[in-house]
Amino acid sequence: MNRFRYWSWFWLAIGAIYFFLPLVATAEFSMRAQKGTLSLLAYQRVLEDKEFVSSFLFSLRMALLTITFGILLIVPTAYWVHLRLPRMRPLVELLTLLPFVIPVIVLVFGMIRVYSSPPFLMTTTPATTDILLVAGYMVISLPYLYRSVDVGLRAMDVRSLTEAAQSLGAGWGTILFRIILPNLRTAALTGALLTLAIVIGELTLAQYLARPAFGPYMNLLGKNRAYEPAALSIMSFALTWAAMGVVYWLTRGEQAQIGGGH
Amino acid sequence: MAFLELHNLKKTFGKTEAVADFNLDVEKGELVSFLGPSGCGKTTTLRMVAGFEVPTTGRIKINGVDITDNPPNQRPVGMVFQAYALFPNMTVAGNIGFGMKIARKPAEETRRRVDEMLELIHMLGLGDRYPYQLSGGQQQRVALARALALSPQLLLLDEPLSALDAKIRVSLRSEIRAIQRKLGITAIYVTHDQEEALSLSDRVVVMNGGRMEQVGQPFEIYNYPKTEFVAQFVGTLNAVKAEVTDAASRTLRIEGQHIQAAAGLDGVRNGDRVMIAIRPERLSFTTEGVKANLLDCSIENITFLGSIVRIQVLVGSLTLHMDTFNNPFLELPKIGEKVQITFSREAVLALSQEKST
Repeated sequence: MNRFRYWSWFWLAIGAIYFFLPLVATAEFSMRAQKGTLSLLAYQRVLEDKEFVSSFLFSLRMALLTITFGILLIVPTAYWVHLRLPRMRPLVELLTLLPFVIPVIVLVFGMIRVYSSPPFLMTTTPATTDILLVAGYMVISLPYLYRSVDVGLRAMDVRSLTEAAQSLGAGWGTILFRIILPNLRTAALTGALLTLAIVIGELTLAQYLARPAFGPYMNLLGKNRAYEPAALSIMSFALTWAAMGVVYWLTRGEQAQIGGGH
Repeated sequence: MAFLELHNLKKTFGKTEAVADFNLDVEKGELVSFLGPSGCGKTTTLRMVAGFEVPTTGRIKINGVDITDNPPNQRPVGMVFQAYALFPNMTVAGNIGFGMKIARKPAEETRRRVDEMLELIHMLGLGDRYPYQLSGGQQQRVALARALALSPQLLLLDEPLSALDAKIRVSLRSEIRAIQRKLGITAIYVTHDQEEALSLSDRVVVMNGGRMEQVGQPFEIYNYPKTEFVAQFVGTLNAVKAEVTDAASRTLRIEGQHIQAAAGLDGVRNGDRVMIAIRPERLSFTTEGVKANLLDCSIENITFLGSIVRIQVLVGSLTLHMDTFNNPFLELPKIGEKVQITFSREAVLALSQEKST
C-alpha cells in the first residue's frame, strides 16, 4: 500500500515537472529584459503597447460574439438531435469534427473566394468582414463547443425533462431557455472557455481576412522582440487559469447537484 | 358519456404494432391501471393520452372534448414520470409552481397553491430545497405535487414507483391513492408490478402484445382471469395439463389421479386435453372428511416468504406450489414426506382446450 503511494507521488512529481518546468523557464526568461536583474519590464512594455490592448479587446469582442452565436446554434441543434434524431447523432458528430480535417487555411481561402465578389460581397467593410471572421471562428470552435454541450446533454434526462415541461404547459422556447440551457451551464461555460482560448490565439483567419486580432499581433511581436512574447505567453496562461477559476466558481452549485443526488 | 374515452387507438412504429384495438372508457374519479410486461404497449398508450405519441388511428376524448390532435402542452393532463423529471435548476417550490408561472397565474395565487401542494405531500417547509437535496421518495412526491398544482382533469402516472426501494414503494402508493381519492381526480397508472396494480386500482387493464387482454376490478382479474396470459401474469399460478375423462361431470385426470372442476369446461369431450390453473393459496393439506379433489403427493421443498410459506409438492412428475399463511404454531411436514392435498372444485380455472382427434 505504502509502496503504491510513493509511486503515485513519483509520477505526480514527474508530471508536475513536465508541465511546470517550461512555464517557470518562460516566466524566468520573460523577466530578463533588464540586463543583470529580474524585472517586469517586458510585461510593462506589452501593457503599454496600444496595439496590445486594442488587438486583445478586438479578439475578446469577436470571442464573445462567437460564443453567443455558437451557443445559439449548437444548443438547440444538439438538443434536437438528442430528443428527436438520436440516430443522426453519429452523422452530426462527424460533421462537427470536420474542422479537424479541413485546415483553417482552406476555410479562409474558401471564404475569401466566395465572399469577395458579388452576389455575396462581404470583405469590403470591417463590419461585414467581422461577420465572416465570427462565422469562421464558429466553424473552428465547433468540435469543442458541440462536444461540451453534447456531454452536458448526455448527463441529463433530456426527454423526461422536456416532456415534464410540456405536460406543464411549456412551449419549445420556455423549455430551451428555462429548463435545458440553465442545466447546461457547466457544459456551456466549458465550451465557451475553450472557444475563448481558441479565438484569442487564432492567427490564420484574422491574418488573411486582414483584421486587427490578437493572434496576428502575437505573431508579429514574436518575430520582432525577444522577451515580450514570453511575457505574453505567461499572461495568456494566467488568463486561461483565471477563466477556468471563474467557470469553477460559477458552477460550484451545479457540481454539488450532480454529485449530491441520492 | 365516460370522462376519458379511448376509441380504437392504434400505434405503429414502422412495421411494429405497439398498440392495437385499444378501447377504454374511464369514469370521473376512477383510477385505472395499465398492467403488463415490458413492451406490451402500456406506456405507449399512456404517452398517446399525454400527447407525446400521435396515434396512428383512433381518437382520445376528455370530458367529451376530442384532444387527439392537441399538442402535449395544450392538454388538461398532469403527468408523473418514472425518473421524477424534476427540474434540477429549480427549488421544490419552483418546480411545483412552474406550471402556474407558465399559465401566467398571479404570484400570490402561485405561492398559495405551492403551499397547498406542499401540505398535501407533507413537505411543508422544504420548498427552498433543490431536488438533489431530497430522497427518491420525496422527489417523486414533489413530482406528484407539480403535476397536480394546475388542477389537471386527468393525472397520468408512468411507473412512478419503479425507481424506489420496496418499503417506500408501498407507503408511497398508499399516499398516491389517498391523494387521488381526496382530490377525486381521474388517473391512469402504468405499472408492471401486479401487486401495485391490484392494490391501487379501481380497475385494471391487463395488456399483452399491444392488446388488451382483460379489463376488470382487481378481484375479478385475480380470481377470474379470462385468458391464459392474465392467469399466468397476475399472481402465481399452477398451470397444469389435464385430460378430460368424463365431460359430463367435468372430471379430469392429472398424473393418473382424478379431479373435478366446477365450471369453464363447456363443449369439451372425453379425451380432450385441457390446460387448467389452480392458485397456490387454493391448495391445502387434507383434513378429515374431505373426499373430492384429493391428490397424493410428496413434499419437494419448503420456502419461507415471511407472511407466507410456499410448499412445493410433487404429484407424479408434476410440481405444484401451495401457499399457506405463516404462524408460529404452524406444523410443517418434512421434505420427502407423503401427504395428500386438496382444493375446491371452484378453484380449478379452465384456460384452454385442445380437442382430441
